[in-house]
Amino acid sequence: MTSVMTQIASRILLLPLFMVAAAILVKGYVDIGDGFSAGVIASLAIILQGVAFGAEEFDRLPLARYAPLATFAGLALALSVAFAPIAFGHPIFLHQPVAGAPARHFGSLEFITPVLFDIGVFLIVFGFCVGSVSAVARETQRRERELEEAAHESPRAPSAAGDREGVR
Amino acid sequence: MPENVANLNIALVLIGAVFGAPIVTLLVGTWRPSMTGSVAVVTTALCLAIVIVSYFIDESSVNVVWAETFGLRFHVALDGIAQQFALLATGIGLVVVVYAYRYVPLHLDHHHRDRDEQPRFFGFFLLFMAAMVGLVMAQDMILQFAFWDLTAIASFYLIGFDRDQDDSRTSAMMALLVTGISAVLVLIGMLLLRTELGTYSIPDAIAMDADAPAVGIAMMLIVVGALAKSAQIPFHFWLPRAMAAPTPVSAYLHSAAMVAAGVFLVRRYYLLIAGFDWLLNALLVIGFLSIAVGGIISLTRDSLKQVLAYSTISQYGYVVVMFGLGTASGLAGAMFYILAHALVKSALFLTAGAVTEATGAKYLSRTGGLARRMPLLAIGSGLASAGLIALPLSIGFFKDELFFTAAWERGQLFGVLAVASAALTFAYISRFWIGVFLGPLRREPEPISGVLVWPVVALGGATALFGLWTGPAIEIAERAATLTAGNPAEIAIAYHLDARPANVMAVATWIVGILLVLGERRWSPAAHAVARFGDRHGPERLYHRTLDALERVSNSIHRVEVRDLRSRVATILAPAGLLVGLAVILTPNSDAFTIGGWERSDLPLSIMLLSTALAAIAVAIPRSHLRIVITLSCVGFSLAVIYALLGAPDVALVAILVETMLGTFFICMLLLMPSSILRFETREPTERSGVRRDAVIATFTGAMAFFVVWGVFSRPSPSTRLIETYDELTPLAHGEAIVTVILADFRGFDTIGEITVIALVMLGVMSLIRKGRLR
Repeated sequence: MTSVMTQIASRILLLPLFMVAAAILVKGYVDIGDGFSAGVIASLAIILQGVAFGAEEFDRLPLARYAPLATFAGLALALSVAFAPIAFGHPIFLHQPVAGAPARHFGSLEFITPVLFDIGVFLIVFGFCVGSVSAVARETQRRERELEEAAHESPRAPSAAGDREGVR
Repeated sequence: MPENVANLNIALVLIGAVFGAPIVTLLVGTWRPSMTGSVAVVTTALCLAIVIVSYFIDESSVNVVWAETFGLRFHVALDGIAQQFALLATGIGLVVVVYAYRYVPLHLDHHHRDRDEQPRFFGFFLLFMAAMVGLVMAQDMILQFAFWDLTAIASFYLIGFDRDQDDSRTSAMMALLVTGISAVLVLIGMLLLRTELGTYSIPDAIAMDADAPAVGIAMMLIVVGALAKSAQIPFHFWLPRAMAAPTPVSAYLHSAAMVAAGVFLVRRYYLLIAGFDWLLNALLVIGFLSIAVGGIISLTRDSLKQVLAYSTISQYGYVVVMFGLGTASGLAGAMFYILAHALVKSALFLTAGAVTEATGAKYLSRTGGLARRMPLLAIGSGLASAGLIALPLSIGFFKDELFFTAAWERGQLFGVLAVASAALTFAYISRFWIGVFLGPLRREPEPISGVLVWPVVALGGATALFGLWTGPAIEIAERAATLTAGNPAEIAIAYHLDARPANVMAVATWIVGILLVLGERRWSPAAHAVARFGDRHGPERLYHRTLDALERVSNSIHRVEVRDLRSRVATILAPAGLLVGLAVILTPNSDAFTIGGWERSDLPLSIMLLSTALAAIAVAIPRSHLRIVITLSCVGFSLAVIYALLGAPDVALVAILVETMLGTFFICMLLLMPSSILRFETREPTERSGVRRDAVIATFTGAMAFFVVWGVFSRPSPSTRLIETYDELTPLAHGEAIVTVILADFRGFDTIGEITVIALVMLGVMSLIRKGRLR
């Protein structure tokens, strides 16, 4: 379906794209970009694999298979960061450390709770984009397989299957 | 933070108990459905015990901040009014739950339904009780409204419990619509009151003793909602329909709970209502009308439960009349009446259920002579009937004594009307009891469980007991009728053997009542004519016509909308354009629509804007779906460049990413569509008139959007100050990129909403395409 060049390019790009996503995610608080952008970039990296190698690739890549679950893991993470302060009698979204208090650094990464929240956003966006595109890809693949099987069983089948498709 | 929580706060305990009851019952019910009834009995008994205990300790309240920005507080208190209504809700509730413990499994068997549906019944039953107790305790208007609506919702499920029956579903819907729509009036009234008096707190509002016209209108709205809930004319029609519910539901909702909620609301705001004579007079008129119409129709009905339903309309008319009298004695009489009526009416409803269970008969014409076969039931309901027709030695005698005294105080005409009303009650209740228990035996009853009989005996016994030992009932009603703490209400009732007006009126009532019972043949045609007139021209007809008309309007809009995709988009765009256009015209726009200058440095921006506009126009040209998607992408990417030129790299990055993703999604959708349909759509020529219509709608909507955007850009944005604040705060929040900080911190709550939507859409995609599998 796609040329070898596309396949090689997409494979070569996979890790660098992840790298960019990670950088954008970590640097979110000091530079352009945030969890949302990082999530879209990372998911584009995965979707590129599917485009180059076909829908089967989505079944092979564990990152793609478990993407829908990542959505809900991300939601759980973001919600707990947002609402955890209630348990301590604080208003929601009171991030730690509080305004003005010193924060630990690791390079440009700051250990503050907004970053956790951003990771939650990242997971949701990543899970949604990869999850829905791969779901569509696998569904169309399943339909094609059904058509082939129908064609295999009887010579009249292709047109019948085509009609059914049309009705849908 | 809790402010007024005492060591043992009975109000808090009660709220916890009543809302714990449905939860515990549901939990146990899901685990062991057969145990639901027992758990419901135990939890209800516990709630009743707490209410009784509350009479022996000081008044208590919970008053905590709920939503401070809007001045809302979670403020509940167990004052005299709340105590009486909570006592009714839990006390009658307990008796009915005991009855339902046996009745509901039998009912499910009759309808060939699984006994595992019991938790559904008891869960909603107890939820209703909780809502009712919450309603009467609430001291904050909005909180009160929330509980008010909760009763409507719970009653919907209770009345429609037999959801397999058409009749049940329509009745449940009718009860929900009538009480739900009128509830909106209550809310409007509350908001009006808040604007006028500046507080949501009910005690504060009442203490102001305001008599501004706006307060009168607010009170009128609240009274209308209350009367609809109490099934008064002209909103009465939902109550007889609601008899499609299982008997325990009728016995509870239509004697002590749902209809009582209406008069409760009148009582709660009584001090404000009483400031407006026209409102009180309206109450008098509606009350007497309800007494007359309910009573006359009740005389004509053959179905056991219908007789009682119309009787309830009539009985609550008494209460409304006593409120309308506007005197202290009227108020005290009303509270006492509610108490006595709840006892006897629930007993009569339960009697009807027991009789139908034993004989299978639902109509007066099919029953009769049951007194010998079911003596216990006859005695129990006989005592209750005696209470309702105000025979001496029952609590009912005093309810009528108070009614007569209060009416006589107002004038002789009211005295005559009161006697006529009471005689009517005498006639239809006698007709009910005599029709069921005396005369020839029509059907041999099958033996039924004692659990269906003893609750009736208990209620009947209570009617007699409190007729002799009047202390507790007086105490309860006095507390509930006390308007201000310094001025306690007094109810002086006792048996007097002299010719005082109340006694004379009582005797007159019995004589007229007996004459009515004996002369049934004389008045029967006239009463039936009234009932027929009501059926034909009553407000129920208006209700159905309104619903039909609404459905026709909705259907015609729907037909236009679903014709094709273009009309679907048009039905969104055209009204939106219209509304926006109205907004543009109506808002002051003297300094809007200015045209700024143009400099050479604006050249790149202008080129990109032009290219975006051209791309947008180009979208309308291609026929192939893939080309449309790609042209759409062009618009998006041009916009991204514009953001970059305007110095918003963050937005530009997001725009590019979103555009890439959106293109991918579009192609995915095209893949899912059958290619034959796509090909067909591409070749199909569009109708000329359709193109013209689309062009008009698109131009109109686009122009409106253009004017709004122009108007916004012409004015310095008022939110600049906000942005400056965000800018100052960003370093404090450990950040340097303001956009990210806004998203994750300042406006984090918005982000939560957005990402939750994404997760929900994900669920939708997965259930549509992958049948809910997540991997």
